[in-house]
Amino acid sequence: MKDSLVLRSRVPAHPDSRCWFLAWNPTGTLLASCGGDRKIRIWGTEGNSWVCKSVLSEGHQRTVRKVAWSPCGNYLASASFDAVTCIWKKNQDDFECVTTLEGHENEVKSVAWAPSGNLLATCSRDKSVWVWEVDEEDEYECVSVLNSHTQDVKHVVWHPTQELLASASYDDTVKLYQEEGDDWVCCATLEGHESTVWSLAFDPSGQRLASCSDDRTVRIWRQYLPGNEQGVACSGSDPSWKCICTLSGFHTRTIYDVAWCQLTGALATACGDDAIRVFEEDPGSDPQQPTFSLTAHMRQAHSQDVNCVAWNPKEPGLLASCSDDGEVAFWEYHHPAGL
Amino acid sequence: MRGVRGPGEKRAAATVVEQDMFDAVVMADERFHGEGYQEGYEEGSSLGIVEGRQYGTLHGAKIGSEIGCYRGFALAWKCLLHSGTGEKDSRKMKVVEALITLLQHFPYDDPTYERLHEDLDRIRGKFRQLCSLLNVQPDFRVTAGGSRLAF
Repeated sequence: MKDSLVLRSRVPAHPDSRCWFLAWNPTGTLLASCGGDRKIRIWGTEGNSWVCKSVLSEGHQRTVRKVAWSPCGNYLASASFDAVTCIWKKNQDDFECVTTLEGHENEVKSVAWAPSGNLLATCSRDKSVWVWEVDEEDEYECVSVLNSHTQDVKHVVWHPTQELLASASYDDTVKLYQEEGDDWVCCATLEGHESTVWSLAFDPSGQRLASCSDDRTVRIWRQYLPGNEQGVACSGSDPSWKCICTLSGFHTRTIYDVAWCQLTGALATACGDDAIRVFEEDPGSDPQQPTFSLTAHMRQAHSQDVNCVAWNPKEPGLLASCSDDGEVAFWEYHHPAGL
Repeated sequence: MRGVRGPGEKRAAATVVEQDMFDAVVMADERFHGEGYQEGYEEGSSLGIVEGRQYGTLHGAKIGSEIGCYRGFALAWKCLLHSGTGEKDSRKMKVVEALITLLQHFPYDDPTYERLHEDLDRIRGKFRQLCSLLNVQPDFRVTAGGSRLAF
């Protein structure tokens, strides 16, 4: 396990503040970071080092909590504690705020683009999840306001191929939503975590969902379609989700983020104990009851809580992380030799 | 003569009488406590029912006024949008109609309806979506009591 995760570079991305979240653009050439200093920074490589290419500073009145790139890579959405979501249009190195989405009653905690590029989801401390539709003229319209959670909603993420939305909440549950007729409805509730669920990540195929929690575990859930061979019960034509694996005993504090590499299938976690961990599924493990092994454990990856981990979508093994210490770190992960 | 023990009467009978007398004195505290508790419990129960009824009336009225406001809002906008043409207006109209339908199906007279809160949340969600489409800011300050229609 030694040297499976190696530090490549460290940048003071949001000095004297927290860095909350990172997002790689679809081509993997740019990294967007956002923080408590109300700014968004865009990072790119120049030779061997990472440099700040743009600063988006006039968009928000309060902390920017999450950023997300559109599937085409031309737009960046930012979710802020000022209750507003900004949509920025990229014009080479410049970004212009083209729309602001209002409606949430308080802090927006997350924003995510659907793989089709036509839908956007936001969630907030006001316990609701909003689904927005965008047309060819860059006009955004609210398609649904979902009040299924009973507490602060921390994260939203779209399925990689289906129009299925997942949300994680302070109410300890994960909820899934899909379109039914003219409206969106909650089609499943995943219970099992014993505390706040902070983040979610789908595996490359979209058949499994990883969730991480304040209860210091990562849970892996699998989708079972009606009529499945394993005999998992489904109600009507809705798929069922079952927890098929729980990773416990590895983290000593709250797990704030989980990221599933779309290239290698490796699972990275960001923890409140300042460490980054990587897990890989054991080869030959039963798909219905998979086992994962810890393949990297970087203690003191940062000097404070690690808030986010993000795998580069094009370069296998390139992982970015950010922390309450305001820094962004770049790592190289290799499957450990001899395992 | 009363109160005078006859020559044949046993001493034990006298003792029993004396014991009852002491019993009454010694157990008085506990007895009064018990009686007091019983009276209090009954009074509390009936006061509780009164208070509960008042609370229910207030709470029910709050929900009623909230729903009533949504209904008025939806019906007003239905008229306003009637003359509108174009795709945007038809989407707004669809949402107005959906909200009206939800409100019509809501059981106003059944507080034990099992999906009361679920349906209320759906109605509130639909209302917020409508406000977003119409670009209207809903005022969500909740005032305790009072005749003003502000929630």
